[in-house]
Amino acid sequence: MQIIKDIIETLQNKSPNKVIDASTQFNQQLQIILKSLLQATDNINAALISSADGIAKSQVAANPMDEHRFAAMSSALLALSDNLSKEAGKGTAENVLIESKQGKIFILHAGPHLLLTVFTPAAANLGMALAHARQAVHQINALVEALTP
Amino acid sequence: MYKIIFTGPVGAGKTTAIGAISETPPVATDVPCSDDTRAIKATTTVAMDYSYITLEDGTRVHLYGTPGQERFNFMWEILARDGIGLILLINRDHPNPLQQLDFYLNAFSEFITQTAVVIGLTKSDLQDNNDITTFQDHLYQRNQIFPVFDIDARSADDVKILVHALLAVLNQ
Repeated sequence: MQIIKDIIETLQNKSPNKVIDASTQFNQQLQIILKSLLQATDNINAALISSADGIAKSQVAANPMDEHRFAAMSSALLALSDNLSKEAGKGTAENVLIESKQGKIFILHAGPHLLLTVFTPAAANLGMALAHARQAVHQINALVEALTP
Repeated sequence: MYKIIFTGPVGAGKTTAIGAISETPPVATDVPCSDDTRAIKATTTVAMDYSYITLEDGTRVHLYGTPGQERFNFMWEILARDGIGLILLINRDHPNPLQQLDFYLNAFSEFITQTAVVIGLTKSDLQDNNDITTFQDHLYQRNQIFPVFDIDARSADDVKILVHALLAVLNQ
């Protein structure tokens, strides 16, 4: 979790009057988390962090993606999956998995206000992709916690 | 299957209206707002609202509510599929409700041409301007004549008026 320590240190070194761009700063830190996620594994080739209400915050992808549309679709899918899971007596959904011939897509909660969507190549190892995605979620959560007064 | 779609801008009362007439606890997909919507309300619909009502003759009518924000317009298409008609809620308390009316009528124009629409004006208790005739005149200028009602989205009776009006138009 060295990455998180570095991020928190950077943020804490900012004097309060420089917090004007707090959200830009936050999005930049999210970008760092996503970049290290893609560097860490070949099982993920694109990733997107968005708000629970479907606004793109940060994304990293080899090929351009329509992050605004993908963010809205991710939040709709995860919200509906949460409902289905809850009504089936299984609690909220931890993640949604979409399996397609050309690859897989995971949508994961990252705390109450953010979600992480990751995209895999066709030949990806599902378990490894999910493990790396969950690690990124921990990093996002740690970042949010560190910034919550 | 009879399926009615509730649509309209953020804060017009779509989730409230479906909740008001619902026979079962509605399916809602509310999440905390992080955009400008936060100034209006705490949570917003991101996928859909769903519920149903049973008419006097036993017919079940399924009610689907869309998210209001344009970034969710992919849900508008998904939800409108196989719908029999549209209930458009417009918040009269908005600074420019006629612009919103135009926007949603245009966004759903193909669906409306194939089916029917009724318009419910909400939050009228908060706004004295833009009375119902303003909207009727505006529709007339658009060469469109649709039923328009002043309603309280929290009132089951009011929302049922919209549903019955829509069914009446469809039965013509």
